[in-house]
This record gives sequence, C-alpha cells and structure tokens, in this order.
Amino acid sequence: MSQPLLSRLLSRLPWAKGGDATDPAELRLLLAEYESPGALILAARKMRDAGCTRWDAHSPFPVHGLEKAMGLKSSMVPLFVLVLGLGGAAAGMALQWWVSAVEYPLLVSGKPMFSWPAFVPITFECGVLGGALGAVFGFLGLARLPRHHHPLFASQRFERMSDDRFFLSVESDDPHWDRAADLLAEAGASRIEEIGGDGSVKEVHRGSGITSGPTSGTAADTAPGTSEEA
Amino acid sequence: MARAVADIDPVEHRPALVTGDDASFHGITETVVAPVEWKPPLGWYLTFAVSLAFLGLFGVSIAWLIWEGVGVWGNNQPVGWGWPIVNFVFWVGIGHAGTLISAVLFLFRQKWRTSINRAAEAMTLFAVACALTFPGIHTGRPWVDYWMLPAPNQMSMWPQFRSPLMWDVFAVSIYGLVSLLFWYVGLIPDLATLRDRATSRVRQVAYGIFALGWRGSMRHWLHYEKAYLLLAGLATPLVLSVHSVVSFDFAVSQLPGWHTTIFPPYFVAGAIFSGMAMVITLMVICRVVFKLTNLITPLHFDRMAKLILLTGTIVGYAYATEFFVAWYSGNPFELFAFTNRAMGPYAWAYWIMVSCNVLSPQVFWFKKARTSIPVLFVVSILVNIGMWFERFVIVVTSLHRDFLPSSWGYFRPSFWDIATFLGSFGLFFTLFCLFVRYLPMVAMSEVKGVLPQAHAHGLPPDATPEKPIADEAPPRPRPGLARPEPEGSPS
Amino acid sequence: MAHDDAHHEDAHHGHDAPKITADRVALPAGHPLRRLLPVGGAVGALALVATFALGLGHPHELYSSYLLAFFYWLTLALGGLFFVLLQFATRAGWSVVVRRVAEHVSGTLPLFALLFVPLALAVGQLYHWSEAGAMDHDPLLAGKAPYLNEGFFITRGVFFVLAWSLLGWWFRRRSMAQDTSHDPGATRFLQSASAPALIVFAVTLTFASFDWVMSLDPHWYSTIFGVYIFAGCAVAIFSLVSLLSMALEKGGGSKSGGPSGGPLAGLVTVEHYHDLGKLLFGFVVFWAYIAFSQFMLIWYSNIPEETVWYRHRLEHGWKAVTILLAVTHFAIPFFYLILRRTKRNRPLLAIGCLWMLAVHWLDLFWLIKPAVGAGPMPTLLDLLAFLGTGGLFLATLAWLMRKPATVPVGDPRLAESLSFENM
Repeated sequence: MSQPLLSRLLSRLPWAKGGDATDPAELRLLLAEYESPGALILAARKMRDAGCTRWDAHSPFPVHGLEKAMGLKSSMVPLFVLVLGLGGAAAGMALQWWVSAVEYPLLVSGKPMFSWPAFVPITFECGVLGGALGAVFGFLGLARLPRHHHPLFASQRFERMSDDRFFLSVESDDPHWDRAADLLAEAGASRIEEIGGDGSVKEVHRGSGITSGPTSGTAADTAPGTSEEA
Repeated sequence: MARAVADIDPVEHRPALVTGDDASFHGITETVVAPVEWKPPLGWYLTFAVSLAFLGLFGVSIAWLIWEGVGVWGNNQPVGWGWPIVNFVFWVGIGHAGTLISAVLFLFRQKWRTSINRAAEAMTLFAVACALTFPGIHTGRPWVDYWMLPAPNQMSMWPQFRSPLMWDVFAVSIYGLVSLLFWYVGLIPDLATLRDRATSRVRQVAYGIFALGWRGSMRHWLHYEKAYLLLAGLATPLVLSVHSVVSFDFAVSQLPGWHTTIFPPYFVAGAIFSGMAMVITLMVICRVVFKLTNLITPLHFDRMAKLILLTGTIVGYAYATEFFVAWYSGNPFELFAFTNRAMGPYAWAYWIMVSCNVLSPQVFWFKKARTSIPVLFVVSILVNIGMWFERFVIVVTSLHRDFLPSSWGYFRPSFWDIATFLGSFGLFFTLFCLFVRYLPMVAMSEVKGVLPQAHAHGLPPDATPEKPIADEAPPRPRPGLARPEPEGSPS
Repeated sequence: MAHDDAHHEDAHHGHDAPKITADRVALPAGHPLRRLLPVGGAVGALALVATFALGLGHPHELYSSYLLAFFYWLTLALGGLFFVLLQFATRAGWSVVVRRVAEHVSGTLPLFALLFVPLALAVGQLYHWSEAGAMDHDPLLAGKAPYLNEGFFITRGVFFVLAWSLLGWWFRRRSMAQDTSHDPGATRFLQSASAPALIVFAVTLTFASFDWVMSLDPHWYSTIFGVYIFAGCAVAIFSLVSLLSMALEKGGGSKSGGPSGGPLAGLVTVEHYHDLGKLLFGFVVFWAYIAFSQFMLIWYSNIPEETVWYRHRLEHGWKAVTILLAVTHFAIPFFYLILRRTKRNRPLLAIGCLWMLAVHWLDLFWLIKPAVGAGPMPTLLDLLAFLGTGGLFLATLAWLMRKPATVPVGDPRLAESLSFENM
C-alpha cells in the first residue's frame, strides 16, 4: 500500500534510512522463505561462504547457531552497559556527596557529611539504571531501530516471519546479487520473491521446501486460511 | 512431531514443556494471540467490571484522603506507620516474583519460565504501580511529592539521601522503570506478530508503532539477546537490592523487632515467596479462562510450588533465627518484642502469619499437592494472606509496644485503610485485565525457541567453524569415547 | 534465547552415549594429586605438632590460631557438602561431571569431627564466657548461660560435626554406589533427600557459626551471621572445585588417562568452568551484599552494643585489614570475574580461584582474630596451624580420591553434562 504522509516523513529520518541501503527507491530485495531452522542455517552458511555481505536472516525467534552460520561478530551491547552503568553509579554517588557534603550539609543523627554507607543503595540503583538504559538504547542503536518502514514489509509472505517461517533476504547492492537467487534456491527455499524498489513483489522461485534433520516444521504445517501468493 | 531425545530428562522423564497436538510454532502463535484477537470470554468482562468497581473505590479513597488528610487513616500514636506501609511492602514484594521468573530463572537456564514470564513481568509492573501509590499518597501534602526528587529549586532544598525512605524512592522507581524496559524489550517480537496479523489499520498502527519495525533480523536478534541477557543480569541484583532497601526502612532503626541484620535476605525471600504465590493465583485462573492449558502445564506449577517451598523455608529460617537471637542477645526489649508478637494483643495476627507462611506451604513437599490445581490455588491465597500479616505484625507490634510502657497503645485500621487497600487490588486487576486483553500474555518467541523443533539437528558439519579460542584445546582423543562432534550423517 | 542446555550434536543421544567406565576416570597411579596423601599427611602432622609445641605456653593464641585454621578448612568441606546437596536439589545436569570432586571434598568432613576434639577440650582457653567467674559480674552473660555453657556447647559441637560427617559420607557413598549399579533410582533418592539435608545443613551451619565464631565476642550478636559464613563457604567451594577439576584434567600419564591427560581431560570443558565461574561471581556479590548489609545496618543505628564489634576491626591497625578485605574480597574479584573471558580461560580462572581461597582466609582471619584480641598481622602459629589442618585435609582428600571414579559414571545425567554448552 502507498505510504501515507506521516510514514514518508518518518522514513526520511536519518536512522530510518537504515544506514545500509543506497537509495531506497533503487533497492531491490530477494526474499527466500525456508521452513525450518536447519534449512535457514544451511542457507546462511552458503551465503557466508560465497562472500555475500548485504543480506540478512529473519526468524520468529533467535535460531541457535545462526550467528555462527552467518559469520556475525558478537554484539557491542555490553560496552554500552558497562560505560553507562559505571557512569550511572558515579553520578549517583556524586550527586549524594555534593548535596550532603557540599551544597547543603545537614547534621543528621551525628552521621558524617559524606555518609558513604548510607549512599551505597542509591549509588547501586543508579548504576543499575544506567546499565539498563545502556542495554536498551545500545540494542536499539546498534540495530538501528525503530525503523518502521522497510522494503521487506511489502511482501505478504514476510508476515509469517513473526509466526513460523524463516527468511533470508538479499539486497541488490550485494556483490553476489546475480547468483543470490540460485544460492538461495539450492539451499532449499520453499519460495523466493523479488521485491522491487517501488514495493512490487513477484515470485521468482517455488521450491519443494527441503528440510533438514528429523525435527522441523513440516510443509503441511500451514495456517488455515493463509492466502497463496498470486 | 518428533521430539529430540535431549529434552527427556533421563531421571524424571520430564514431559515436554508444551503439550498437546498443536505444539508447533504456528500453534503457539494461534493459542497465544487468540485472547487478543477474539472477543474475550464472559469471565473477562465480569472480572473487569469488578476490578473497575474496586478501582473506583481506590479513586474515592485517595480523593477523600487528599481532601481530608491523613487523619482518615488509623495511623496515630504510638503506631505512626500502619496499613499504608504494610500495603506498600506487600505490593513491592509481590512484584519481585515477576523479576525472579524473568531474570533469575533465565540466568539459570530454566526453560519452563517461558510460558509464564510475560504475565509475571506484567504482574510486576502492576504491583509496583500499586506499591508506589502508597508512599505517594501518604505524605500529607501529596502535591509537593516532587520535593523528593533531586531537582534544583529556589529553596535550596534537597532530599535527605541518608534516609532509607529516599532510598526507597530511587529503588522502587528504578525497579519499575527497569522492569518496564525489560518487559517491553521482551514484547517487541510479539508485538511484531500482532502487527503482522492485524486485520484492522488501527491495530496494525498501534502494535506497529511499539514493534519498532521489528523484522526478526538475526543481526538484530544478536543485539537483542545480549541486551536481554544483560538486562536479566542487571535485574537480578536489582531485585535483591530493592527489597533489601525496603527492609532497610525498618532495619536501620533502633526499634526492637525492626533492627536486625537478617532483614535484607529475609525480606527478599519473603517477597519472592508472596510474589510466586500471586503468580500461581493468576495463572490458575488465566490458563483456564484463556485456554492456555497446553502452555501453562502441571510442570510449571510443580516448579513454582517448589520455589514457594524453598522461599517459605528461608522465611521460616529467618523467623527461627530472629527468635533465637532475640533471646541470645540478652536484650530484654528485643525478647519482649518477640514474646509480645506471639502472646500479646496481636497474637491472632502472628499465628495467622505463622500458619499461612510456615505451615501451609509444607503440603508442597508432596508432588500431588504441587500439581493439584485446587491445592495450588488455596495455598497461594493463604501465602499471600500470611505475607500481608507478616508485614503487619512486623510494623505494628514493634510500634504499639516499644520501650516505654506508658506509650503503649493498640492500632485499629479505619474504614478508609481497608477501602484503600481493597481498592489497590482494583488497580492491579484492572491493569491485569487490560493486559490480557490487548497484549499477548505468553512470550511467544521465547516459547517457540524452547520447542524441540527450534533447534537444527543433524546438520552436516560447518566447513568454516568458528575459530576456537586458544585456551579451548580440542578434547584429546580418548579410547572408547566418541568425540563430542557430529558424526556426519543425520540420524 | 532460552538456550537449550541439552543442545548437542548427534553423537550423544541420552543413554546411547558411549559409557565412560570407572577405570577410564580413575585417578592414575602416578597422578600428582596422589602425592598429596603422603606429603599432605606428613606436612600436616608435623605442622600440627609444631603448632601445639610452640603454642603450649600461650593457650589463648594457640587455640585461636587453631580455630582459624580448623574453621577455614571446615568451610571448604562444608562448601563441598553444599555443592552436592544443591546440585541434587536443583536436578542440575551441567554439573554432574564435576560433582564427584565436591563429593570427595565433603567426604573429608569426618576428619573435622576428629579435629574438633582439641577445640572441645580447650573451650575454656578460647571462649571468654566459659572462663570461671566470667558470668559472676556480668548479668548479660549470665543470662546466656543456658546456651553458653561448656557442656551444651560441646554437645552441640559434637552433634554438628557428626551430622556433617554423616551427610557428607552418606551422599558420597550413595553416589559411588551408583557407579556400579547405574540405577537412576539412586539419583531420585538423593534428590529427595537433598532438600531436608539442606535444611539440616542450614541450621547446623548457623548455630555452629554462632557458637564457634560469634560467641568469641559473647556480648555481640547478628542474625545474619550464619548467612555470612555460608556465603564464604560458597565462594570457597566454587573456587576449590574449579581448581581440583583443572588439576584432574592434567595428569600423570598412564594408560587410563590418555597421552598426557588426566582423568577429567576431555570431559570437563570450558563450558563447565564458565558456569562454575558464574556461580563464583554470583556468590562473591552475595557475600558482599551480606557483609555490607550487616555493616551498614549496624553503622546506621549506631548502637554501641553492636558497633563495638566493628570498632574492634577499625582500631589498633585492623582498619587496614578491613579495607584490604573489602577491596580484595569484592572490588577486585567483581571486575575480574565479571568478564566472560576470565571464566572461559583456565589459567585466568585458576588465578581467580586461588585468589578467592586466599581472601576467604583473610575474611575468617578478620572475623576471628580481633575477637581474641590479636593484632592484625598473621603469626607463625597461624601459619603452622593452617599448614597442619590443611595438610591433613588435603591428605584425606587424596586418600578419598585414590580409588573411586573421579566422575559419577553411573549418573543418568552424565551425558547431558558432557555435552553441555553455555549461553
């Protein structure tokens, strides 16, 4: 559906551009659907080994082992937590010290002005607050979220990303864009769609949905009432 | 549906965490979003109506309090702290189980938590909301409550940071905020599910805004999981510290029965004890009303009942230690405080507390009791009654008879004490009803992640495995022992 | 994100896993830990004799040093018991491969029944309240007489050490019996028994700490004291189990251990150390929380009857030790053990564990010595008593380890433990 005014404005925000696309209007995407976590991992390994860079995997829950299969480096979130956590604790202690020992010292039951044992609880709490804010905003910042508009949402099949299907998307500025569809199909995609820069979606491949291993969601496990792609 | 052997515990032959025919990813989605997408059952409307009524009572009580003043309550000399602080500690305590389930059980890799953690965390948020109203309204001039915040002002006035009541302000507010953040982060993938399934534009936008454009990207999941782990790691000491700070309200004083060093861990154990009981009460009702019986199973109740038994025993240990040391100390005031509790004018409250807290959970030594819904429901309510009385006994008995007999008195709650307390349940249940109506009460993405089919088994070995860290030498070949690596072909 | 702790590759399928036989994991004949028996025994006996010889003229110093040493090694043994009971009570799968080590540690508890005898005989030398005439002019102490009297004190002490010996010996024996029987029923039974055993453990440890350490200062009291000692036990045992497991991974080279690996080589992985490290870190923080709570509450109310205990630890040179304790037992280990890198690297973790064992001694030194009026510097008697008790402890441990499997080969959760992967 066409983007309303507010959405278009929001998508102009610097972080909403995703930082990883050239010009949204020219970007095309391949979206491959897989039916099990195992198939997704195999496909990811293929993409990683082929040297693809502008691609991503999508799943309704984090698939164990997928980050290795994609060759991802570990997250920098802990750094945010550490810095903001220590900073928060320092700020909490500094505030209490300044208020109680410098700005308006009051003698309370004979306790010293800098009653550090009494300041520990709030210092600790402020440290935890800083750490938590670091975790949340570190995560959102590193993931460049919120990003309410993304070309992937044009695909109706993609709605099953949050339900029970696994997807792999490749952007057209990937070095191996030309081979991408073949790679994805080889890995057992049950369906591959191409999403144009204008939001158009067309199916380019329909596979048998090869699954791997004894445990998998089966092809028969389709939600009743799901419309088949035109 | 094939079940990986790994999920069957060889000793207890643990049943699967998710039972029933529909234990698939899609099945979970359908089960969990059903209460949100369909009209709620009649039970929900009845509960919501009753909750709103009590919420109204809460509003009226607060309005009357602000209009008339704190004198409408029973607080007076010698018992200057009465029901409001008891209610505050009661509600904060209940909140702690939610964080325990979300954070602590996550760190301990207890997969069974995934069916109940969303509702438990929501319970935490609502309990903290209820808790915070009491310090908010009890100040006598609630319109200047903001003086408790360290904001520069024209009076050069600052909060008194040496006071445990100030520590409470920070601790409980930060606890509420961090719990909110933790709960919200966990919600993001599930909000995406609701957004993707939305049939009306209003729902799509409402859920979509808060889903932040989540698209299940593994690159995002990487950061998400790290943030979740760190939030869990932060929330754990936070939970310990918050109820410890609450216990400091009493323990930093010089009052017999209040000033004792075991209060911090004792209060924390008691908080988890009462909170877990409230989770059981809520889950017993919700799983039936919202048809979640395949997700919240007897196994979950078994585990929760064991936690109740554990924390109840710790509370019992604390009672015994306090009693012994009260004698051992040789401090006549301390000893009197305890004998007065058991045999003085409030003995009735004391024995309710002991029988509810120490005796009733003992049934959970028996597995039959741990998995019997009626027993669980009754004991969980008794535990919460007992824990309310514990706070009541601690607060009131130490105050009504302290050092000077001529100051002794007897505290009676007023009508408005009772109305405000009952009204707080209205706030809690109203919020909870709204939660189950509009948000998924089970963490779908987490439950899916612990299903056996969530793991890729039988994959060929990775051609480019992660480079091993230097200290992790590969296991030495040992005769007769297969290397813990895949043999190759899927079985 | 709820990580499947049983995720593993196909080779291990529950009961189909290749069975690890008892002689695969037996302690090889030439293993260095075996030498602990003669060496520890000799050093221990000699050092103890030297302690008593040297201390004969100064019974108060002698027995306070002896108490410190006795209590230190006892907290390690009790920690072992706690570890075993905890793993059974929580039905833990990850820890099976390191549990036998803890069972051996808890099996040394009967030694402490023996080592308690000198303490029992010397109550009058150590505890002020037992001195003749101490209660005549002190109504407060006199009021405690029903509890603080030599007869009841010794009876309680005997009861505690016997209870611990029984629990430690019994759980170990049952677990070892499972090595041959492979009966899962044994695990079920021990699981059921572990919960009441934990209650017994908690109560006995609490009163033992009250009796042996807290009553050194009989006017003082703290309801959290038992929990504080417990926290120290926990810190000590996670350190000790990690170190012993690492020692058992290295070997003396023999047919059973493989080329140069010890009995645990290839079985205990970095994943297990990560978990042990996490638990160690958690209990370090827990210790600090308990220690600070006790301190802050007493500081805040400022009641002289209570603050005097801290005054003793802030005067006459003890202030430096107090600060040292806070820094070395909490501040440094907090930042060291929080790193994932440290917990997943054997040498780094080993340093951390040795450090914690050392500062645990400092903690007990700080608890006990000021109460007996000693100065802040450790003495020769302290060292000799430490070597004496420690030597005997290690010798007993080596003796217990010499025959049985170092891994509970019959435990049904062993396969899960072997293939365990962390978050």
